[in-house]
Formats: sequence, C-alpha cells, structure tokens
Amino acid sequence: MSTREIFDSRIESGLLLLPTLLVTVVFLYYPTALAFRTSFFDSSFGRAEVFVGLENYVGLLTSSGYHRSIFISVVFAAVVVVGVVVVSLYLTFLIHEVDTGQGLYLISVIWPYALPPAVGALVFLFITHPTLGVLTGPIESLGVEVDWFNNGSQAFVVVALAAIWKQIGYNVIFMIAAMNNVPDTLTETAELDGVGGLRRLVSVYIPIMTPTIFFLVIINTIYAFFGTFAFVDLLTSGGPSNATNILIFNLYQEGFSFFNFGVASAKSVVLFVIVGVLMFVQFQITDRYSYYGG
Amino acid sequence: MVGVLQYAKRRVDALRGNYETQRIHEDDLGTHFQLLLLVVVVVFPIAVALAVSTKQSGVVTSVVDLFPGGNAVENYREVLVDYQFGRFMWNSLAMSVVIVVGKLIISVFAAMAIVYYRVPYKDLVFLFILFTLLLPVPVRFIPLFQLMNDLGWSNTILAITVPYLASATTVFILRQHFLSIPTSIVETAKLDGVGPLKFMLFVLLPMSKGVLVGVSIIMFVYAWNQYLWPLIIIDSEANQVAQVGLQLLQGDVQGGQLSWSLVMAGSTLTLLPPLLLMIVFRKPLLETFSIQQK
Repeated sequence: MSTREIFDSRIESGLLLLPTLLVTVVFLYYPTALAFRTSFFDSSFGRAEVFVGLENYVGLLTSSGYHRSIFISVVFAAVVVVGVVVVSLYLTFLIHEVDTGQGLYLISVIWPYALPPAVGALVFLFITHPTLGVLTGPIESLGVEVDWFNNGSQAFVVVALAAIWKQIGYNVIFMIAAMNNVPDTLTETAELDGVGGLRRLVSVYIPIMTPTIFFLVIINTIYAFFGTFAFVDLLTSGGPSNATNILIFNLYQEGFSFFNFGVASAKSVVLFVIVGVLMFVQFQITDRYSYYGG
Repeated sequence: MVGVLQYAKRRVDALRGNYETQRIHEDDLGTHFQLLLLVVVVVFPIAVALAVSTKQSGVVTSVVDLFPGGNAVENYREVLVDYQFGRFMWNSLAMSVVIVVGKLIISVFAAMAIVYYRVPYKDLVFLFILFTLLLPVPVRFIPLFQLMNDLGWSNTILAITVPYLASATTVFILRQHFLSIPTSIVETAKLDGVGPLKFMLFVLLPMSKGVLVGVSIIMFVYAWNQYLWPLIIIDSEANQVAQVGLQLLQGDVQGGQLSWSLVMAGSTLTLLPPLLLMIVFRKPLLETFSIQQK
C-alpha cells in the first residue's frame, strides 16, 4: 500500500485535487448549506426574505398534504423496489440457467439501463393511453375499464410499472455478476441433491447474493424516491387528486409552481435526511457483509 | 469479472470434452420460452414506439396496426427540423460531452492525488468528496436554482454542465482501479525517475483504458438522461435539451396539435445515443460496474 505513494509534493497534490474540491464546495456543499439557511426564512421571488425560525418545518409537520405525499412515496418505493427486485432476480436466474444465447438475452433485458426516463414515460403514456393505447383494448377485454387520467389507483399503477420497467436493466447487471460468482460446485451439489429450478434460486443463490440484493434495495429506494420524477411529471403531473404526488414532485411544485423557496428548502432538508438514512443503512450493511465474497 | 468467470466455466467444459453438444442438450426449452416471453415484454414498449414513429397518424388501437408505415423519413425530418429536435439533440450532446470529458479529467487528477501522493489529510479529502453522495441533484435543485440566478448562469450551458463536474462515484471507481494496479509497476516507474505528468500519461492512463471507457459510458448515460435540472434552469427553446424537448412534444400532443407518430419519433431519437453507446461498449461497462460495487 505505502509503496504506491511515490510522489510527495503537497503543491502538486493540491493542484490535482483543486478542480474537484472547487466544484464540490461551490455546487454541492454551498447549495446544501443554503438550503438549510433558507429553510428558516420566508423566501420568494421579488420580496425581502423574512426570518421565520422553525415555522416552515412546523408547517410541514401539520400539513396533511405533505403527510399524504410521504405516505404515497413510501408505498410507491415499496412497490417499485419489490417489483424490480423480484422481476430482475427471476430474469437473472433464467439467463443464468441457459447457455445458448446467454449474451443476447442479457443485452435484451439490461438495455433499459440506458433508457431516458422521459422516453419511458412518453412511451408508457402512449401504449396505455385510455382512448388510444395499444394495450387499452386488451386490458379492457379483461373487464377493467382503463381510466387512469381520472382514477388515482390506476395512475399509481401505470407510473409504478413504467418505473419498474426502466430499473430492471440496472438490477440484472449487478445480479448476473453476483449469480455468476456462486461457485459451480455448489450448483452441482444442489443439483445432485435434487434441488432444482426455483428452489435452487431461493435456497442457494439468493442467500449468497444477499449483499448485492441489499445494495440494490437501497439504490432502488433512492431511485423510487428521486429518480422517477420524469415519470410522474410526464405521465400524471402528480395527479389525479395527488394520487401520484411523490415527495420529489411535491418539492418541485412547492418551488416552481408556488415559488415558496422557504418551504421548498425545508422540504429539501427532509429529502437530505432521507438520503442520509438510506446511505447510512447501506454503509452498515456493506460493512457487515464485507467478510463474504467481495 | 463476469467475463473471466464465464471463460473459466467454458474452459472447464471444454476440458470435459463435450462442450457444444452437452450444453445445448442441457438447456431447457421451457426456460428459453419464458426468457423469450419476458424479453418481448421488456422490448415491447420500444418496439411500439419504433413502429408508430414510421406511421402517418400514430393512431394504433390494435396489435395488428403495429406493422411499420411508410412515413418514417417525413416524420423524422419533421421532428428534427420543424420541432427543433436537431437542435435539442445537439444541445444534449454538447452537455453530455462536456460533462464526460470534464468529469474524467478532474476525477483522474483527484484519484491520482489520493492514491499516489504521500501527503497529510488525503483520507479526509477522500471522505469529503465521498460524502457528496448524500447530496444528489434532487436535494439541491432549489438552492442551486438561486445560486445560478446569482451567478447569471441561468439558461446557459454552464448551468447544465459545471455543477455535474465533481463526481464522488467516478473518483471512487478510479481510486479502486488505481489501487488494483500492481505496486511493482508503480515502483519501477519511480526507480526510472518518471515525473507525475509522465506517470499519468504513460503509465496510469494506458493501464486504465477499460475503466475509463466504462465510466465514460456510465457518465454519458447519466448526463444525457438528466431531466429535472434542465427543465428548471433552461427556459429558452434554443438552449433546451432533448429530454425536456420531449416534454414540449407531450404538451402539444395532449393539446391535440400534434400526431403521436411525431412524439414517438422524438422519443426514438432521444433513446438512440445512450442505447447505442451501451450496446457497443457493453463489455467495459459491465466490468466497470463490477468495480463500483466493491
């Protein structure tokens, strides 16, 4: 380790670090500090800021609209995370099981990693459109009236499906690497013991892949909370009647529909705390599992 | 990693002497059938978009309507020229290339200082950079918007590139990779009296080609797919990016002024650059992901 440190000029190392540190301080740390500060002010366009103490936070604690948004975000994240992990695990398992065409199958399911959420949203809007959608006819023939422009639960399902679809690629990329790391001898032993198919997935592969799955659960949770903004914006704009108004969209509205920068900053701080907790959990878990594999 | 394991597996099978025949017979047809079905589900929405982008009206109400039409050239021309998608795509490309090149340069600098310099506090500096994982755009966009107004950068390419230049993920991946370069090579360079610039250009970079390509793809996909921040900070069509260009199309089609076939043409265009890069460079991309998780 120490033999790698072949240079010792403080000036050179300082110059090498300077650009990253400069951007980090000015565009990452400073705005975050600014958000904390503004969260204690009444702040909007074209009028002087007024210090209001904890008023913005008290407002959030008592706002039923914000509570509903938190609730919707948590349910949405749970649905998306479970959906993505289950579908991706099964897909990965199937790909792992075949030898012919493995590479082709892999690229055919991991490509949504490159899919822009805005594109995914518009395509979903089109195929499930209540009057024009290709899928609308087949779905209605099953006895469900497609009406997600007015029906909140249906809108929630459409946004969740689109979000799940986009995230499968990223998950399979990590899961296939983890599954390929399972020693062949273990697979062979399981097969000899007559542990086949799905039972092998559940009782042999999944336990060994636990660190990867935990990692993906955290990444997917952060994605569901924050990375799905384009889906909500383009598919439902948070509606109907706020049925899909997750926290990130709620924050966007507070800032750029109502221009309440004080309240919006307090909401940013709440999101910061959520990211912090998730990252902390991930760090703890990675630490615990670092003895295995890796 | 994945590649190595698959190779090893194949070698073992080859040694057993019956690779081809045995493997093909071992594949279960049911597994292939399920895989094909799931691949169809994952690809279906984009296949619809592609088919509809070649039709005249874009009204597709049954699966039979999904054969390509003869209007492809005219649709794509109209979107690119009349709806300014050529311009939006160009702006997205400029944004993504500036972010990729800028991030790559300053992150190589930072990672080099962190790995190859014996200077005090560098672990602290690394933590300081890593901590910004807690500050994604969604947590910062309200104060960042205010900061951009103060700097007078709103509506410019500076606003959609500079805040993205510092990257904890990239520095982390490069650091992990640098730590895997054998110390013997580093020591040889030192004995030969190689200076820092020569060390970077003639030792470090040539030994990091795969990782540099891999992180470039990850960063390009990330930059190209940005939606929320350009939506907020860019308000002239001349400077707008493709993702938000899609939102403009969505507004027009919901208002009934635009045919869905043009929206799907715009969506297809927006998907192509990240998708093609991912397919072409999938090998270094997958290898880089396997570094990231460690």
